[in-house]
Amino acid sequence: MLKCWLAGIALAASFTASAAEEIQLHVFSGGANQRPDLIRKIFDDYEHKHPGVKIQLETGGATSELQRQYLSTVLSAKDSTLDLLALDIVNPAQFSAAGWLEPLDAYLGAGKEKRLKEYLPAYARSNVIGGKLVALPFVADAMFLYYRKDLLEKYKQPVPKTWDELASVSRKIQEGEKGNLQGLSFQGAAIEGAVCTFLLPYWSQGKELQDANGKLSLDKPAAVRGLKSWLSLVDQGVAKKNTAEVTTGDTVNEFKAGKVLFGINWGFAWDRFQQDKDSAVRDKVGVAVLPALAGGKSASCIGGWQWGVSAFSKHKAESVRLAEYLSTPEVAKYLAVEGSLLPVYPQVYTDPDVVKAVPWFASAGPVVQSARSRPVSPRYSEVSDKIRTVTHAALAGATSPEQAVDDIESGLVRVLR
Amino acid sequence: MKNVGLVSGQNSGVGPAFPAIEMTSGMKILRPWQRLCDLNGATLDYVLLLPAFLLLALIVVYPIGRLFYNSFLDLRLSSSVDAAQFVGLQNYADVFHDGEFWMALRNTVLVVVITVPGALVVGLGLALLANQVRRARALLRLSLLLPWALPLSFTGLIFAWFFHSEYGVVNDVLQRLGGIEPRMWLTQAWSASAAIWLTIIWKTSSFMALILLAGLQMIPRSLYEAAEVDGASAWQQFRHITLPMLTPSILVALIFRTITALQTFDIPYTMTHGGPGQATETLAMLIHKTTIDYLDVGYGSTLAVMMFVLSLLLSMVYIRFVGRGGGQ
Repeated sequence: MLKCWLAGIALAASFTASAAEEIQLHVFSGGANQRPDLIRKIFDDYEHKHPGVKIQLETGGATSELQRQYLSTVLSAKDSTLDLLALDIVNPAQFSAAGWLEPLDAYLGAGKEKRLKEYLPAYARSNVIGGKLVALPFVADAMFLYYRKDLLEKYKQPVPKTWDELASVSRKIQEGEKGNLQGLSFQGAAIEGAVCTFLLPYWSQGKELQDANGKLSLDKPAAVRGLKSWLSLVDQGVAKKNTAEVTTGDTVNEFKAGKVLFGINWGFAWDRFQQDKDSAVRDKVGVAVLPALAGGKSASCIGGWQWGVSAFSKHKAESVRLAEYLSTPEVAKYLAVEGSLLPVYPQVYTDPDVVKAVPWFASAGPVVQSARSRPVSPRYSEVSDKIRTVTHAALAGATSPEQAVDDIESGLVRVLR
Repeated sequence: MKNVGLVSGQNSGVGPAFPAIEMTSGMKILRPWQRLCDLNGATLDYVLLLPAFLLLALIVVYPIGRLFYNSFLDLRLSSSVDAAQFVGLQNYADVFHDGEFWMALRNTVLVVVITVPGALVVGLGLALLANQVRRARALLRLSLLLPWALPLSFTGLIFAWFFHSEYGVVNDVLQRLGGIEPRMWLTQAWSASAAIWLTIIWKTSSFMALILLAGLQMIPRSLYEAAEVDGASAWQQFRHITLPMLTPSILVALIFRTITALQTFDIPYTMTHGGPGQATETLAMLIHKTTIDYLDVGYGSTLAVMMFVLSLLLSMVYIRFVGRGGGQ
């Protein structure tokens, strides 16, 4: 698929090489969840406003870790075929440490500081690595609790604030519905999302994975308690037995089919529930802050996408200009209204047009602002791989929670130091 | 070898300006430039082999040499420091303390020890059955070839669906037959390994069967007829005629299978991605993860060298074994 794309791009490039004036920018935009359809429309608009610039859109990699694998292959080969890259929020640190991203400070000049102040602080923070701005924020994201408004109303149940509450509400409604209704769907497959699955209940106890210097500071009892809290939801029949096989896509599809009461998912899922033709839950969905562990505080995992310019690009200045455009409040508003993608600008959350299209965005701003980042490390691939495979094994019951936490510690202590 | 450069006088095409030195034996010693023009015999052989040798050097010798060289470096493509650090045997020392390496080695050895004999037994059975069939042989051979012709990753994906806990046919059949609770085959360490072994045996038995079938068809029927006259039972015929006559074919099939089993990658990668945890990760997968995902070329090369040495040792054992077997 990617090869095919690359071949196509190479062919297109060779045809256009003769038209000397025209600049071809090759943009990698990630997978289907990053909405290439909307990005293409933005590009069409940009091409119209900037004659002489043509943009080739490349997509690929259904999941974040597959995209990271693809991009790191291209970039470690110092390949110049990609100019602008959509990066998951976990990647700028790693990519910039590897020298794959062009620092943007010189291109933005004096406007940089002003621009950085306008973003949600978390996004300004995660794109400045070692004092250098390496990527411009595109869309924000965080994990939310999706719930079936209609079912909660039917059984007169509140939106749960803690996981225990969620379990008892679920069991009540599952009993009442008698069918195959799942209480909760969350991600246990060994995908990038499982890193958040591990961290959510850990953070909820007020614990951190890294100290101020980026060293591992794993609180083992808290981590064990976190994993056990997921397992107890499985044991109670609230989450299904094969949760260890569930990916983000499975959660979307099963919730959309009306088989799930509560679902943990990213912001983009809202659009799928509301707009997809085969959705059985249109207008029956509510969004809330993730529950907390008893005695803890709700915590969410921050996500989102940024535009980084490849250090090997032959059109860096043009790519930066395009990235600047993609990182404006206007584009953020368009994506919020058309795709329910969360904005990186605080004022867009309360924009009247946005609130009309996606009413829950008004209350999503604070969630995104308080969401936490996954570990920041130049060797993030290894960090992610360790956490997600071990979390998967623990949820599958293949290792005990205690053993799993030991494995995470021994795996990460060498990487996060 | 001694004759290189010495050619018999008759065939020398040298011009008269530089007459070759006559030797008493009737042989002539050629001057170096004369040798170049006078290509025949052993020299010609070597010159003709040269392009093939250079090609092999480029695509086999150089990469292997480079692999060994890289294994002594601390070389991470994910670090902005371009220069690789020479670390001597440090990577090798790390391998011996690396729990993941030993786990992957264990999983790989299990794949070899279980799937190679497994495929041999199933393949032998298939070959014996196929050898009995008198009609529609072409069709039979085609159906034997099919699993072998299927790409490995397809096989892995197909079987991953078979074993899926919700949508899989395995759980469905078990439930219909005996009301057995659905199991999560691919997320439990032992059942995931077993599912992978089963898939590999299914995939590779047909190749075994094809080689053994060819061997079976070369055994003269007269041997069996003579045995029948002597009153040998079917088992005795198998034990004393089929098996000994088939041994060379079995050995060839075993060598091929063992080497490819050591390199097992596609099927576990597509079925479990090495999980749960690291329970089904093979050496080839660990090398791939270290080199491609982590971009740690130095350590990845060290792991690859370990695997290279392992296959080399195994091949040598087999070759000695075959050499002795052939000498009987």
